[in-house]
Amino acid sequence: MVELLAPAGNLPMVEGAVGNGANAIYVGPRGWSRRRDQYEMSDDEVHAAIEIAHGGGAKLRVAINTNMQSREIPPMLRKMDNFVSWGVDGAIMTDIGAIAEVHRRFPDLTIHASIGANILNNEDVRFYRSIGVSQVVADTKLTLKELASRKEQIDVGIEILIHANKCYTYLGKCWMSPYHRLERTTDPFGKDLFKGSPNRGGLDYRVCLESWELYCGEEQWEKSVALKNDAFFLLEDIPKLIDLKVECLKVQGREYPVPLVERMVRFYRDLIDTYVAFPKGEAFNLSPWRSRLAAIQAQRDTARSDGTRLLLIEARQPVPAN
Amino acid sequence: MSHEPQAMNEFELNTTIANLRDLRESDLRDYDAVYLGDIYCRIYEANFLEHLADLEEGLQILQDQGKRAYVTTYAAPRNDFLPKVRKMLEVSAAAGAEAVEIHNLGILKIAHDEFPQLPVHIGGFANVYTDAGAEALRGFGAVRFTPNYELSLDEIHEITTTCGAPMELLVHGKMPLGISDYCFLLEYEEKWGIKCPDLCQKELFVKQGDWAMKSVGKGILSGKDVCMLEHLPRLLAEGHRYFRIEAVSESPAYRREVASVYRAALDRTIGGDGAVDEGWWETLRRHARIGLCNGFYFGKSGMDYAGIRPDAIGSLSTISRAES
Repeated sequence: MVELLAPAGNLPMVEGAVGNGANAIYVGPRGWSRRRDQYEMSDDEVHAAIEIAHGGGAKLRVAINTNMQSREIPPMLRKMDNFVSWGVDGAIMTDIGAIAEVHRRFPDLTIHASIGANILNNEDVRFYRSIGVSQVVADTKLTLKELASRKEQIDVGIEILIHANKCYTYLGKCWMSPYHRLERTTDPFGKDLFKGSPNRGGLDYRVCLESWELYCGEEQWEKSVALKNDAFFLLEDIPKLIDLKVECLKVQGREYPVPLVERMVRFYRDLIDTYVAFPKGEAFNLSPWRSRLAAIQAQRDTARSDGTRLLLIEARQPVPAN
Repeated sequence: MSHEPQAMNEFELNTTIANLRDLRESDLRDYDAVYLGDIYCRIYEANFLEHLADLEEGLQILQDQGKRAYVTTYAAPRNDFLPKVRKMLEVSAAAGAEAVEIHNLGILKIAHDEFPQLPVHIGGFANVYTDAGAEALRGFGAVRFTPNYELSLDEIHEITTTCGAPMELLVHGKMPLGISDYCFLLEYEEKWGIKCPDLCQKELFVKQGDWAMKSVGKGILSGKDVCMLEHLPRLLAEGHRYFRIEAVSESPAYRREVASVYRAALDRTIGGDGAVDEGWWETLRRHARIGLCNGFYFGKSGMDYAGIRPDAIGSLSTISRAES
């Protein structure tokens, strides 16, 4: 049975996601994952999240998916010592060196290559397998044909983002946001924070969504061009992905309100269960699911659009002097 | 053929050239080495990475000029790129390329497994952020590293002091900011009356207020030119010897004149004099339409200029925000 993986930016979201049928939850320790710190957790909260998830029969993964600094690898490993002793079920990671170090220290821990690793081709997958990764998040731009090829040729688990953003650029290969604004601070535990750089664990200002004008030299050619960045829900592809036997369907959205995440998780739980129980060979009618998803999407669009507006305002603020 | 820098008073200045036409039009006298190929797009005009007879000829031209001849590779290759990538690596090895630059770890695995004789330089899109990352890639044949562009000089120094990995640094030019699978310029072919592959060779910027980025179709670059002219003494003092002028989307005049400034400045710095001529600034400003920046080298926003010459940022080409 395919696993439904849900986000949790706080403990009520862990409870809500588990209660609505998620098989697994992922959380980010503060400063160490690809989200703003307000959607990350203290180590004590991660501990509590593990207990809540396990109590509800779900797994819990910890997202340590920043591209950290060299000197942050030892403290990261100490942090992982705690998480592993508390029973964490896996680590979602990006940095090549950090992956290799974690695999060396915890050879039995499942390592998931994060979307930030930007694994695009089958040889990429083989590279990550060779350094200890056993499951990879598929880039949002990959086709079903590419995923099928990966599934056929390589012994690797595949995770598919079913609610996420499809960026203009390849995720993990973009630093447009910190080019425009980067605010470096240090937290009380000595962890460097990189506000503006999602690759380094800070928030993304979504500058691609600015209303860009296009110039050739000094001459304006277009008043508005779009560097497309769309949030999406997968629907039509869900039956195909289940038939393809991908291991995991992943919902992103730690930054959204708890009730909205609960609705997303419940929707996909019901869809997966209904499709799996449906007789093979008969046409599966997606129409009722479309209308149900449309209501969730409208709620998500409002939340996202508000978030983007505030991020772009924040991106224009001067960086305080150190 | 020029040799790898060995002594403390030696260095390598290199650049990137995408096709045979650009190579023939470029005066390379101030460069020690050149990477051939465009990393962003398979249909970039006569991209060396797709036109393998051109690649052989390009490598020969560089070798005849006594330059170190390198080949770069795609930054974001999907499965359907890989057969051509294998052929390209085969041609590069046979034609005597001295190294291949690799941004994608799948291509790294192919090079390591199938072309172990080719030395590997790791490119900026490979996301080397840590000493452990550099060490992991050394195990796959990497001998030189361009750290991810987001790293500061202090962070780069941590890597070099810990594991001794030779670093190649972008010292001048437009810094890569991202790569896409989608060329939005193609939407304007009919409206502008300009077809691919000429579209992305126009000097195109997306702008809003004082923000600007250069578009090369699937690639997005900094609007400002990264400039480390006044910081060369620090780079040399910290042991760096491999310097890149990123000029793949620039004119032959840019390639020649900027290299001339950096060659003179590096020679002078090696000689113990770190002074910067006013004429050098004028040359760099003239070629930087949006201005100059330091990238992320000083831990600031990439578009900031954190040097001791604040006037070096030049005049910003500021466009008013749309009323709507």
